[in-house]
Amino acid sequence: MSEKIYVFKVFERIWHWSQAGLIIFLLITGFEVHGSYTLFGFQQAVDLHTIAAWSLVGLWVFAIFWHFTTGEWKQYLPTFQKVDAMIKYYAFGIFTNAPHPFKATTLKKHNPLQRLAYLGVMLFIGPLIWFTGWFYIFYDKWTEWGWDQYLSLEWVAFFHTVAAFLMLAFLIVHVYLTTAGHTPTSHIKAMITGWEEVE
Amino acid sequence: MAVQLTSGYARLLFAAVMTLTMAILSAQAQAGASTADHTTFKELQQPFESGPAVTQACLKCHTEAAHQVMKTPHWTWEFLNPATQQKLGKQHVLNNFCISVESNYAFCTTCHAGYGWKDHSFDFTKQENVDCLVCHDTTGKYRKQPGTGGLPPLKAIEWPPGSGKIVRPVDLQKVAQNVGKTSRDTCGACHFFGGGGDGVKHGDMDSSLAAPEANIDIHMDATGLDFICSSCHQASGHRVPGSRYAPTARDDKGKLMRGKESGRNPATCQSCHGTDPHKSTRLNSHADKIACQTCHIPKYARGGVPTKMGWDWSTAGQKGPDGKPLIKKDAKGHVIYDAKKGDFIVAENVVPEYKWFNGTVSYTLLGAKIDNSKVVPINAFEGGPDDGKSLIWPVKVMRGKQPYDPVNKTLVKPHTAGDDSTAYWKNFGWEKAIAAGMAETGLPFSGKVDFVETEMAWPITHMVAAKDESLGCVDCHGANSRLAGLPGIYMPGHSASRLLDTAGWGLAALCLVGVIGHGGIRILAARKGSEK
Amino acid sequence: MKLRSALLPTLILGLLATPFAAQAEGDWKKGRVYFRMVCTACHTEKAGGAIAPTTKTMAEWKAYIAADKHAKGKDSLKYYVSKKYRESIKATNKAAAKFIDDDEAALLEDITAFMIKGAKDGDSPAKCN
Repeated sequence: MSEKIYVFKVFERIWHWSQAGLIIFLLITGFEVHGSYTLFGFQQAVDLHTIAAWSLVGLWVFAIFWHFTTGEWKQYLPTFQKVDAMIKYYAFGIFTNAPHPFKATTLKKHNPLQRLAYLGVMLFIGPLIWFTGWFYIFYDKWTEWGWDQYLSLEWVAFFHTVAAFLMLAFLIVHVYLTTAGHTPTSHIKAMITGWEEVE
Repeated sequence: MAVQLTSGYARLLFAAVMTLTMAILSAQAQAGASTADHTTFKELQQPFESGPAVTQACLKCHTEAAHQVMKTPHWTWEFLNPATQQKLGKQHVLNNFCISVESNYAFCTTCHAGYGWKDHSFDFTKQENVDCLVCHDTTGKYRKQPGTGGLPPLKAIEWPPGSGKIVRPVDLQKVAQNVGKTSRDTCGACHFFGGGGDGVKHGDMDSSLAAPEANIDIHMDATGLDFICSSCHQASGHRVPGSRYAPTARDDKGKLMRGKESGRNPATCQSCHGTDPHKSTRLNSHADKIACQTCHIPKYARGGVPTKMGWDWSTAGQKGPDGKPLIKKDAKGHVIYDAKKGDFIVAENVVPEYKWFNGTVSYTLLGAKIDNSKVVPINAFEGGPDDGKSLIWPVKVMRGKQPYDPVNKTLVKPHTAGDDSTAYWKNFGWEKAIAAGMAETGLPFSGKVDFVETEMAWPITHMVAAKDESLGCVDCHGANSRLAGLPGIYMPGHSASRLLDTAGWGLAALCLVGVIGHGGIRILAARKGSEK
Repeated sequence: MKLRSALLPTLILGLLATPFAAQAEGDWKKGRVYFRMVCTACHTEKAGGAIAPTTKTMAEWKAYIAADKHAKGKDSLKYYVSKKYRESIKATNKAAAKFIDDDEAALLEDITAFMIKGAKDGDSPAKCN
């Protein structure tokens, strides 16, 4: 028997999907700027990438504000409790229809692996991409601000790209794991409607 | 008519006055800027018997002009490079076109702003030897005859000899009475024809700039801005700024008030456009590393006149089946082989090469030891990404193969032009020609001749295109970057690290394979489960 | 006596003729721009064949321009220098636009000066690239 609980609030759902859209768009335009293929044309790719980047910055300002005012930030506090169980589940249990070791609640909407992964995204990939991205965007001003003595565009671009590749890897795994809920679509439905089907 | 003109004489007088007034008014309206009508000057109303006679007439009013000219490279053909202390200028350098002036004065000095420089004995102190007309003619009918040391032809002659073409004599009086400011035609009379022919030397200067359309040069556009050379190379006291012997590679000082005595080169782009001419700060910031010319001169030799890109002297001297010196032309009629000179490579619409350049050019001068196992750089553009003085410049690289002395390991100056027993173009004997040329220089020559490959760089700075024809991002930021291989620049879209790309895409592929495998097993397991 | 009587008219004529000649000869540089950007713009291999100053001698150019016959007599040469013609093409032709206010006769003189200067036997024969 399954029951439904309300996991994701309206803001979270809007945040998630617009962030997802922006990140995918940033990956597409970013790898074009990087030189991996031609889609929009270099100049337009640069412009679009910049616009999308600033939009994402704006979205994050709201998200950070929301997380702190609502206390939801605690959802991302890391825990190693049951991490082993989660790994075991993804490695074996999932194939044998074993019960999911984590039961989402409104107070604990992420499983321990999710918590770690998202924290990693937010504490490592995020800052890496933001700082290198800002250096990149303000390249025009380096000389004026005296930054050119400390920074090289080659290394800024290098780490920005490293972060982009990590984000891409995260995206692939993340998208796949959305099918690893109670039913293959229950996570996705939750992120659309807010209601998650749990056992 | 209020006044009754009774006598025929008065009528004639009236008509004469009216005609004169109208002529003067119209001449003034035409000339626009000039406050003097030289046709009215008594000094110029005489049949001049020579160029120097005209100069003497000019100097009666323009008392300082010759002194001023005599201090400039247009007269001295000498330039001391303050950065390298090398003595340069046409008198001293050699190149990989016609190689050198020395021992060939009478022909090369066709482009000297003077009269009668035929050999070492030329008197550089004689004011009347300054040629005013070659720069100040407005009729387009003044010319200097090759082989005479720069004298205008005063009677009709056949030139080149045996060609059947008649060069008409110059009417010195008419030219003298029609002097004016310099023009694209006067400057171009020499500078378009450097290297011995239209467009040969520079690539960014040829006769198509005499009256160009906007797509050839946006500033000189004859129906647009209509700049003349001195609009940028604004002279003061006959000193013309903007020499390529010591160019301004990087100008960070911004706009320059025209006419203000500043000591700066007024011929840089920045001296008019400033240092942030684009609306986009991103484009402006490119100027930290890239000269304006790099984007704004997408190609040179765009006016339909080809420029020489290669010159192989080692193949000179071949005779055709008729026993006469051979000449070969390409499909368009451009000479690609001339027995006097060897093989040529000519090209139009040429994409420049690019170099870091800080404005200092060092030359391999006569007497310098060369390494004949490598391509000899006749000149070298100095600079690099880290000296704070350099920008990436478009250049024409002229590639040649020219005679040298394999024993002394020096370049040589052959005697090419002349109607004598040693000139190469008459006798086709290298040893004799080089011995004669080197004797003139006073430097040793072993008597042995071999050929060595040489390179010479020329900055590309004219033929600025309209803005929508300048380079786009991908010309440098794409896979086939024009700036590929230049050190010190990271170009997003072009310069990505291969290693990083391999690692990054590898990681993504691993993830993808992982999740597909994981999902596949899940599906299989689910099927098995439902079968049971 | 004979010399003297000849001298005075010559002197007067000379004085009159010099400035007058300067005007009558026309501004060859302006003529060059008009010729290159209006005349040759139309005269391609298709429309009547390519033309250049060197295709005729000075005398032939003078005669041709004086005859005022264009396209083998189908229309007037002067029409192609006229304000009316310049007006009709000024939207697409920068040279016509630049010289839109020029006097027709003066402009024809300018063009003539260029043709004579660049003629086959002129002072500086001009082929067009």
